[in-house]
Amino acid sequence: MKSRLALLILLAFAVEGCAAVPQNRRARLADPMMSLDDEPLEAHRRQKLYDSREGAAGGDGMASGGGCGCQ
Amino acid sequence: MRAWPFFVLVLVAYVAPSRAFGDDPSSVIVDSDVLGHDTMRPQVATVTTRLSAYSQYGTGYQSKSGPLLGPGSERLTVLQPQAEVVITQGNRLTHRIWIPIDIITAASPNSWQPAVDVMSGASRKTEAGSLQWTTTYKADASSQVSATQGLHLENPFRSWNAGLGVQHAFADQNTVFSAGFAGILDWFDRFYVTGARNGRTQRSSTMGSVGLTQVLTPTTIVNVNYGLTVQVGELGNTWNAVPLASGERGPELLPSERIRHAMVGRMAQFLPWNGAVRLHYRLYADDWGILAHSIEGRLMQRLTPRLYIGALYRFHTQTGPSFFTTRAPVDAPLRVADSDLAPLDSHTIGAKLVGDARVNGMAQSLHYEVGYDRYFRTNDLRMDIVTCSIGLRF
Repeated sequence: MKSRLALLILLAFAVEGCAAVPQNRRARLADPMMSLDDEPLEAHRRQKLYDSREGAAGGDGMASGGGCGCQ
Repeated sequence: MRAWPFFVLVLVAYVAPSRAFGDDPSSVIVDSDVLGHDTMRPQVATVTTRLSAYSQYGTGYQSKSGPLLGPGSERLTVLQPQAEVVITQGNRLTHRIWIPIDIITAASPNSWQPAVDVMSGASRKTEAGSLQWTTTYKADASSQVSATQGLHLENPFRSWNAGLGVQHAFADQNTVFSAGFAGILDWFDRFYVTGARNGRTQRSSTMGSVGLTQVLTPTTIVNVNYGLTVQVGELGNTWNAVPLASGERGPELLPSERIRHAMVGRMAQFLPWNGAVRLHYRLYADDWGILAHSIEGRLMQRLTPRLYIGALYRFHTQTGPSFFTTRAPVDAPLRVADSDLAPLDSHTIGAKLVGDARVNGMAQSLHYEVGYDRYFRTNDLRMDIVTCSIGLRF
């Protein structure tokens, strides 16, 4: 039952995604709070924190290793 | 007679502009007067600096700063200044030059007397720096390609990297596809577990990723990303210790290859009360046997048009590789005692304040950010992080 519900929710998102949102209705998406990526220097700081203290670095297209020899 | 004043007015109105724009060819308005010159002259778009300070406490069996069979201290401090300059060349080319520096003091390498420091033989501090240059070419309104290259310098460690990325938008920019490929070559000193140098060694990392970003509603955006990293060579720092059943310390013995997979899903939702929530989930698996889940939520609230605050919580859980141990048999073919590779849970809580201010002068605005994070793990590691950033937008 739970898996069906999850599938339904995913499907609802997918169907909704098919309807294009015109550019003049994307003002909210342009707000810096809505950015999916951190500001680059903050992203580096955060990535290095986790990469060098957890054994699960890399794999997501970002550099792993390259310093401190700890990866 | 009544028509004369009107006739003169019409004549003046007609002649005046014709004298202004007609007689002097240089005064004719062209597109570039309105839209700006499409010149290749480099122009600085932004300059950003960030300073972060880390203070870490804890213990781990790989550290030599403690009892022979551990656990030893993982006390560490890091001061991390970073600088970034973004330069535009015309309407299509953008360069990003980024210089991060780490100034590190660590308990384990400093525990030897005289200081036989794996990271710096000359002092108890390690200064590490990188230079990264990324150039992005915008082919048209929907497509861009970027190339990056960089160099990392550390006392016994050199690293080079290069990569390519492409991005294409579909459906009136509602859908963005991205893909990237990169390689890193690390070349560094090998050490005996006693701290003496043992020549040089190397490793390579090759990475690829694909991603898709989709605008779902005027207030919702999602992204999924898959990445693969293949590493070959010496995959440890050769310095970490492993307590042995014989009562001695031995070196780590690790496989010479590691294949890592990661799948990431992200979502941002604007909230009706001028706030936003961001969710991030990451699934990681590698052929050493580590399986990890990370989930992160951020809540942000705009206080004024130029100021917002944010709060963060992240939870991470991971299994360890089958050869993780805190007391290894002497003849074990593979062994590691690094607390970073142990089965563990970690938590991060954080808060930040972000704002923009108008400035009078050559810059358009001043961007500033102040943040604090507390990171702690279930296997005795905790860290306080303070970060602040200032940037100029030209």
